Amino acid sequence: MPAIAAEALAKHFTPEIRAVDGISLSIDEGTIFGFLGANGSGKTTTVRMLTTLMRPTGGHAEVLGFDVVRSPGEVRKRIGVALQEAGLDDIQTGREMLTLQSRLNHLRAADIPDRVNHLLHVVDLDDSADRRVKTYSGGMRRRLDLAAALVHRPKVVFLDEPTTGLDPISRDAIWRYVADLNKNDGVTFFLTTQYLEEADRLAGDVAIMDAGRIVAQGSPSDLKASIGTDVVSLQIEGGADELARAEQAVRRLGGIEDVRIIDDAVIVYVREGSSAIAKLVLLLDEASLRAREVTLKRPTLDDVFLQKTGHHLEAEESASRPPAKPDRGAES
Amino acid sequence: MIQLLSDTRYLMIRALRETARQPALEIGNVFIPFFFFAVTVGAIGHVAGRAFAVDNYTAFQLPVAVLQAIAGASGTAGFGTVTDIERGYFDKLLLTPTNRFSLVLGRLASDGVRTMALTLLIVVVGLIFGSGMKSGPFGVIVLVIMGGAFGLSYSGIGMALALKTGSAQAAQLGFLVFFPLVFLSPAFAPKEVFAPWLRTLATINPVTYIVQGMRDLVLSGWDIGSLVGAFASIAGLGIFTMTLVLLALRSRTA
Ligand SMILES: Nc1ncnc2c1ncn2[C@@H]1O[C@H](COP(=O)(O)OP(=O)(O)OP(=O)(O)O)[C@@H](O)[C@H]1O
Ligand SMILES: [Mg+2]
Repeated sequence: MPAIAAEALAKHFTPEIRAVDGISLSIDEGTIFGFLGANGSGKTTTVRMLTTLMRPTGGHAEVLGFDVVRSPGEVRKRIGVALQEAGLDDIQTGREMLTLQSRLNHLRAADIPDRVNHLLHVVDLDDSADRRVKTYSGGMRRRLDLAAALVHRPKVVFLDEPTTGLDPISRDAIWRYVADLNKNDGVTFFLTTQYLEEADRLAGDVAIMDAGRIVAQGSPSDLKASIGTDVVSLQIEGGADELARAEQAVRRLGGIEDVRIIDDAVIVYVREGSSAIAKLVLLLDEASLRAREVTLKRPTLDDVFLQKTGHHLEAEESASRPPAKPDRGAES
Repeated sequence: MIQLLSDTRYLMIRALRETARQPALEIGNVFIPFFFFAVTVGAIGHVAGRAFAVDNYTAFQLPVAVLQAIAGASGTAGFGTVTDIERGYFDKLLLTPTNRFSLVLGRLASDGVRTMALTLLIVVVGLIFGSGMKSGPFGVIVLVIMGGAFGLSYSGIGMALALKTGSAQAAQLGFLVFFPLVFLSPAFAPKEVFAPWLRTLATINPVTYIVQGMRDLVLSGWDIGSLVGAFASIAGLGIFTMTLVLLALRSRTA
């Protein structure tokens, strides 16, 4: 039995607003699933349906074998959820909030103080536990929200953009909790994110959402391999005219899989990228065009995203990007 | 059932803690009823007492102050719920296996407890200013329970509006309902001096029986008929408002 299964799941707010437009998923127990998508692609709507907060307008979904519409109570008992906007009570202290959360999840009263202390410790909030939540920073709020999602030891945890807006240290901390819980306790995670690196690092499988549909699904390495080529990016001097001419020019090279114009660059998908670079620059030169910058890299999830959706993930620019794969780049 | 009650209790304690931590929000709830109590008794108490053949107009007005306090104070449940909804905390509560009704009943019960405290405070002040209490100490207890029960029922109006609209302004509208209800009751004068049309309206107004029940406890002692009338009216109001709350809750969580 998969931990999460969906079939043709849909939410049409109106006939025009198709936030989620028929997605199918099967997520194995004990895995981390990355749900990638730009703003407004339908990630939160999907999470709200899978966690019983919103009724689908089409299709079915099950969590641990329980239908989210027919047995919402059974689903709620087994899941932990941290929504995109950390829903906290400013007037309680962190400890009080976790205690109430434990009680409402019907933990045994005698176990609650220990459980709350343990969770506060796990998310590094021991020192602030008795301060009102109102005084917490953004990172602390996220961590408290995560702890609140875990009080009842759920087998499946949904995290909606758990690291958006966090600094690299807080982000690393959240990644560590997720990875540990998954490894040590076999918790299944459904994690939405706008950070490709997050999905790359944590998730065994990812789905890429675009405008309410899943446009690609698989393990990050399979997805990258599916591109099957290197990626050469040529930033062209000049305007739209020059870009269009550059695209024409590079197409004359043999063995090209695909060429796209993204922003001010011509992106060339080609095998044996390193030997293609010199020829590409030469072709540009023949057309009296200059490249300001030329880079060559193995495909990343960003390239997969780009190829499947035709656009970058905006948030990626602001994400912390520790040295990923070293770029074999060359300045011209 | 036990689960429902214990979940409700935890949520009620949370709501009361919230009140204790924001005492400034209670100032108006305490000040306004006392202000009108003092002004009404001070300005017209002497003539009104004589005109309506009421011996002790302070005692006569005491239930009105209590009702006014309750109407003001019992908007808190709805208001707090709007805040929870806006902060996203209500979603977090909805995601627990807790009975949906507990989620709202906890806050309503907190309003019940707060209005009990306000009722007691008003009775004590009334006693100091000579309202007396014909039914004795046990009457005080019954009056306080009556105040709490009315507060809980009444706060359902603001709660239903809060759940339905998610708007803080709407949640406060519960207070507006109070004015017609109280002016169409024998709040300021005995029903006997009313014009016939007003008397008819007062007869079908549940607040009439609540005022009467409270007033008899203060002014004339134990009257089982009047007590039954008061509690039956509160129960009727409660059933009505809880139905609204359940309908609104369903529309929010569907
Ligand atoms: N309650 C609603 N009523 C109408 N439209 C809605 C509602 N909620 C979401 N939408 C629309 O559905 C689409 C998907 O929204 P959703 O919040 O699921 O996106 P998202 O992928 O989570 O975006 P973000 O990264 O910004 O959080 C958007 O176009 C949004 O405007
Ligand atoms: Mg979202």
